[in-house]
Amino acid sequence: MHATVVLDERPVLRAVDLDLPPGITVLRGPNGSGKTTALRALAGLLPIARGERDAPDDVLYLGHRPQLLHGLTARENLAFFRAFRGSVGSPAAPLGVDDALELWGIRRDADRPVEHLSAGQRRRAALARLEVETCALALLDEPFAELDDDAAAVLRATLARLAHAGSAVVVASHGHHDLDDVAVRVCTLREGKLET
Amino acid sequence: MSDVTIGVARRSSNTSGPKRAWLVAAREVRADLRQPDGLIAGVTFMAVLVLLESLIVGPQTARQSAVAPALYWVALLFAAIVTTTRSFDRELEDDAIDAVLALPGGADALYAGKLIALAGSLVVVALVGGLLEVVFLDLAVPLPLQLVVATLLGVLALPPIVVLDVALTLRVRARAALVPILALPVLVPQLVAGTNAVSAALSGDPSGSLGWSGLLLAAGLAYTAAGIILVPTAIE
Repeated sequence: MHATVVLDERPVLRAVDLDLPPGITVLRGPNGSGKTTALRALAGLLPIARGERDAPDDVLYLGHRPQLLHGLTARENLAFFRAFRGSVGSPAAPLGVDDALELWGIRRDADRPVEHLSAGQRRRAALARLEVETCALALLDEPFAELDDDAAAVLRATLARLAHAGSAVVVASHGHHDLDDVAVRVCTLREGKLET
Repeated sequence: MSDVTIGVARRSSNTSGPKRAWLVAAREVRADLRQPDGLIAGVTFMAVLVLLESLIVGPQTARQSAVAPALYWVALLFAAIVTTTRSFDRELEDDAIDAVLALPGGADALYAGKLIALAGSLVVVALVGGLLEVVFLDLAVPLPLQLVVATLLGVLALPPIVVLDVALTLRVRARAALVPILALPVLVPQLVAGTNAVSAALSGDPSGSLGWSGLLLAAGLAYTAAGIILVPTAIE
């Protein structure tokens, strides 16, 4: 992606040139540096003022918030995403919905509407999407937020599996260094500019 | 500066477009059944307006074949806006809409799925509102089949524009005011045709009802085509 993104007449990303190889890329930077904007631009959720977004169509974007539809259970949300993407039987998404819920420790509460789950449980349910969907590019915004140590370990293993399967994984984080040892690249964004 | 190269094969969804739309519609219906506040708001809104109109203009005026249908369609339009707004409010909670929009074909599926689900909800609202009008205003219905056809076609013409306008104003603070302002001028042909089709059915004029129903069908098709073309950009 080579992009300048302007929001409210203010350039939030300035000619960011981001080359994403297969594997884990960590996007680091202080609050307000443009990490979320970069991920949203990569996901196709923001118009790019100058430059272009050249990324696969099958993006899995997990933002700050869990992005689960209220009124549905965790199981129903996951089943929707799995069916939508047609990931059934794919080697890159080896788990069924029940197994994914079990892995992320929320199977017991899987049939409660997501608005009745705690913030941590919702975050786990959202991250369980990584187990049931195939994608060429996974974009995760502060995925370790609200996770306990056990869940953080599951996330590290899941991201390693995705990277091993050939997906490009971009993780935005302002503080955590959990992935530095397995990342193929660590970039830093400051005031909308990329420092490698 | 070089453009990005993602070193993985491009893969797209194995699921067809119509199936994706049905998945979104099914997701919407399931959420509506568990959280029926949008549907209840639409039905309540419709019932209150039906009761109010007979109180304000008097039962003799309200039951005239030119007045009752006009008030019915205006009430149904606002009920559609209430129901659709609630549906998108749910998408904005926890940013659920972003997850769908980032999926391959997500914007189109979201629009089509919302259309299908909202059409179903509006049929319920229209049925309840229509029955209330017939009962409270003691309306004679000499052509019930034509009345049902005109009502169904009129209902199906509403969602394409209402969903499009709600999507256009999704993150705008003045959305409550903007949606009717944007929707009403575009929907004038639908409102005129719907009013005349139902009025003709209530007056026992089969050919008039059929002619206006044809216009309703044309309006519905034109609105749907416009929505399909415009909505991906609108949502973006």
